[in-house]
Amino acid sequence: MEKVCENWPEKAFISGLVDAKYWTDFEANATAAAAQVYKVADYAAGEAKLKEVLKEYAPKEIIAVGGDENPALKGIYSRLSEDGTKVYTEKFDIAEHAPSADVGISTAEFGVGESGSLVVDNYSYEARVTSMLPFVNVVFVNANYMVENITSACQIIGKVFQKGYCGFVTGPSRTADIERVLSLGVHGPNKLIIIAVENEGGAK
Amino acid sequence: MARDLKKEIKSKLQDNIMQDALSRFADQYPGSRLKSYAGQDIEELRENLRCMKADAVEHIEELADKFEANVKARGGEVFRAKDGDEVKKFLIKICKENGVKRVVKSKSMASEEIHLNECFTENDIRVKETDLGEWMIAIAGQKPSHMVMPAIHLNRYQCAEMFEKELNEEVPGEDIPYMIQKARQTLRQEFLQADMGITGANFGIAENGAIGLVTNEGNARLVTTLPRIHVVLIGYEKLIPKTEDAAKILRLLPRNGTCQKMTSYMTMVDGPTPVMYKKDGKWVEENRKQYVILLDNGRLEAAHDPVMKQVYQCVRCASCLNVCPIWTLVGGHVYGHIYSGGIGAILTGLLNGIENFSQFSDLCIGCRTCTTVCPGKIPIPDLIDELRNRYVKKHGTPTMDKSFFDNVLNDRGLFHKLLLKAGSVGQAPFKSGKFIRHLPLFFAGMTKGRSLPTIAERSIRDRMPALEKKNPSNAKKKVAFFSGCNTDFVFADTGENVVKVLQSLGMEVVYPMAQSCCGKPILGVGDRETGKKAAMRNIEALESVKPDVIVTSCPTCAETLSETYEKLFADDPVWGPRAKAFCAKVREFSSFVAEEYKAQGKLLPAAGGEKVTFHDSCHMKRGLGIYEEPRALIDATPGVELVEMKNCDKCCGMAGSFGMKYSEVSIPMLEEKVQNIKNTGATTCVVACPSCMMQIGGGLDNQNTGIKVKHIADLLAEKL
Repeated sequence: MEKVCENWPEKAFISGLVDAKYWTDFEANATAAAAQVYKVADYAAGEAKLKEVLKEYAPKEIIAVGGDENPALKGIYSRLSEDGTKVYTEKFDIAEHAPSADVGISTAEFGVGESGSLVVDNYSYEARVTSMLPFVNVVFVNANYMVENITSACQIIGKVFQKGYCGFVTGPSRTADIERVLSLGVHGPNKLIIIAVENEGGAK
Repeated sequence: MARDLKKEIKSKLQDNIMQDALSRFADQYPGSRLKSYAGQDIEELRENLRCMKADAVEHIEELADKFEANVKARGGEVFRAKDGDEVKKFLIKICKENGVKRVVKSKSMASEEIHLNECFTENDIRVKETDLGEWMIAIAGQKPSHMVMPAIHLNRYQCAEMFEKELNEEVPGEDIPYMIQKARQTLRQEFLQADMGITGANFGIAENGAIGLVTNEGNARLVTTLPRIHVVLIGYEKLIPKTEDAAKILRLLPRNGTCQKMTSYMTMVDGPTPVMYKKDGKWVEENRKQYVILLDNGRLEAAHDPVMKQVYQCVRCASCLNVCPIWTLVGGHVYGHIYSGGIGAILTGLLNGIENFSQFSDLCIGCRTCTTVCPGKIPIPDLIDELRNRYVKKHGTPTMDKSFFDNVLNDRGLFHKLLLKAGSVGQAPFKSGKFIRHLPLFFAGMTKGRSLPTIAERSIRDRMPALEKKNPSNAKKKVAFFSGCNTDFVFADTGENVVKVLQSLGMEVVYPMAQSCCGKPILGVGDRETGKKAAMRNIEALESVKPDVIVTSCPTCAETLSETYEKLFADDPVWGPRAKAFCAKVREFSSFVAEEYKAQGKLLPAAGGEKVTFHDSCHMKRGLGIYEEPRALIDATPGVELVEMKNCDKCCGMAGSFGMKYSEVSIPMLEEKVQNIKNTGATTCVVACPSCMMQIGGGLDNQNTGIKVKHIADLLAEKL
């Protein structure tokens, strides 16, 4: 999958700016922005949490990105299809099924404490449609990759952003255009579910 | 086509649905905004943004060249458009070249500014707005009434009618979630089938050619993802040097715009990005075509204008509308163009021509509330004043204003007699206490909802010779008293109390008879030359008595005398230094008295009693920054106790001559003020401004509240 930066922790992160201590702010602000936030110990626990939250939506079709870069995710995606759920991870398959898929699973590079935003590298078309077209978007992020504020986030992005598509995702799609009543899921996902993995090197 | 602005205003004031929505919003916005900034240093964030944007406009050509070069280096095409016609020609050309039949748009104010949609319709190209509010508005053939909340003037049932019109099916108005899902399904098809997506940009980054889009619905992400062509329409004012500078905008724009720490989506697109589509039944992936149109349309001229370049500090958050006492009453449509409110008047003047500006520039009352929230710290009322000056220079002063002012200026004695005579026609039979309840015939509009004060039989200038005889010997300071028109002709009793309070502090008070109007009314309509004449006359008159201090009990006069006079003569080698020395001596009454009280050990809390409340005048609080001193004086006055009212610093609706010219807007503002005063249970409303005193006093009398209005000088003199 094409990305703005192949390795954010190594090439983009600025020392001193990224710290797990900003998790508390991130969790509070992301929750306030109507995201569902779960912190899990490792990918095994992440897989269990994913299956648990997916039950509610009983998806028939899932599109998922990030498996090529992350073997743990790849394993999870392949196991998701064991019960007969269609899971598409190839880019043209994703394009084909994006309009009908019920759930999209994607990844984020890091989180922002001040606003509860996820910083996403969406250079590839498949990453964008996966996170935008289905009604539910589940995002995996490393729970230790947190920055204090939007200023730090833009400094980090500025270091590697030479071409492509990236930005912040803060909660699900929303509008207040009718009577200023908050409504979710107008064009993008109605649900944003964040699964933050504390120990990425843990279980596969 | 000439518009009847007063008629339009009237119909908006009678639109109960809009009135309800706007008043609820105006009530909730300030608190929600502050909540989103919890833990942040707002002033530091504002200053950072102001500095970054002010610096960007200084280097605008350089930034534009860099931005263009970087977009091109990444494979995008850049077109610099002088105006809307050039944009339209270019777009139609690329539509034809690329066989474009369907276009989706995501919020682009610039495209509204140049009426872009019309050119697509004329060329049989289907174009759809994708922001829910704009989509509904476009169905109804209306214009957005707010930059961030385009449909705020509508309720759910009106919205449902628009859905029905577009979808040809029944849509229940009470079910908002249903409408949202209908919009999702309908617009999803538009996104998937579109050949071209057009977006605006919240910023454009020179160092890498990226653009940033801030949305909540996610429509901008779909517009920049699904179609195979992306067109960016971006104004020069959106250019910033670096990616990290975007943070300076992003930490304020969502908080000020929608009271969110961050919107759902902040998307940055740098150059052409991959897109997939089916070619002959098979999926292919390639880079989409990207065209970036840099729109001038008056922006570059503004960039090189020493005053107007400050509009580049605008990030289109619309917070200036959200706090504007006029906008929150009349809504956005009466402003007539796409950009409404104070900033809208300025942008319209710069982008659509000064002729379009003149009509609704009236709707800025100079209360300066917007300057307290603007993320880019734009002095919006000052820019409006400057545009008025330019308009008058080009078209001359309205005759009515000029002849009226010449009378005030040239013979104050005669003017007073005229006022008395005019007043007495209707005055005698309708007078109640010190107020005129009704005026006959064409004056009737002025007394609707508000009683007008009677003209003092003896003006302050007539009373001064006797008052000056009571000056203390061995005076501490020599004070020249500048009364201003209201205190001279209407509130002469207050003028007398000003003199008494000053004398009680050991001051010698003199009243130079040659003083005239401060000039604010004529400066306010943009006639700087006549204003200068008033300034010179006053400087000469007051200099002649060689005062230590010049005191005025009118904050508007104080602001004009102490700040505007210096600016008026900034380039004048003779009058410049003279005005500067003069300005340095001018003091607003309550702040001067508080200072003297403190020096004399009298500024101490006294035993309370009767409840009084204090109303902050716009010019005093936000113009002069004085609001603690009058409160300290009230605290130091025995027998009274200060209780604060809700929105104590919200404009009472008088605002110079505005309250007379637009009484239909002024009266609802006054009614709100009177209600807030009543709610405190106070028996007196204390003010420090004669204009507010006239307005609030008139409102309290008209509603028979029994609550008195007093100038702070009146309150202090009573207890001497």
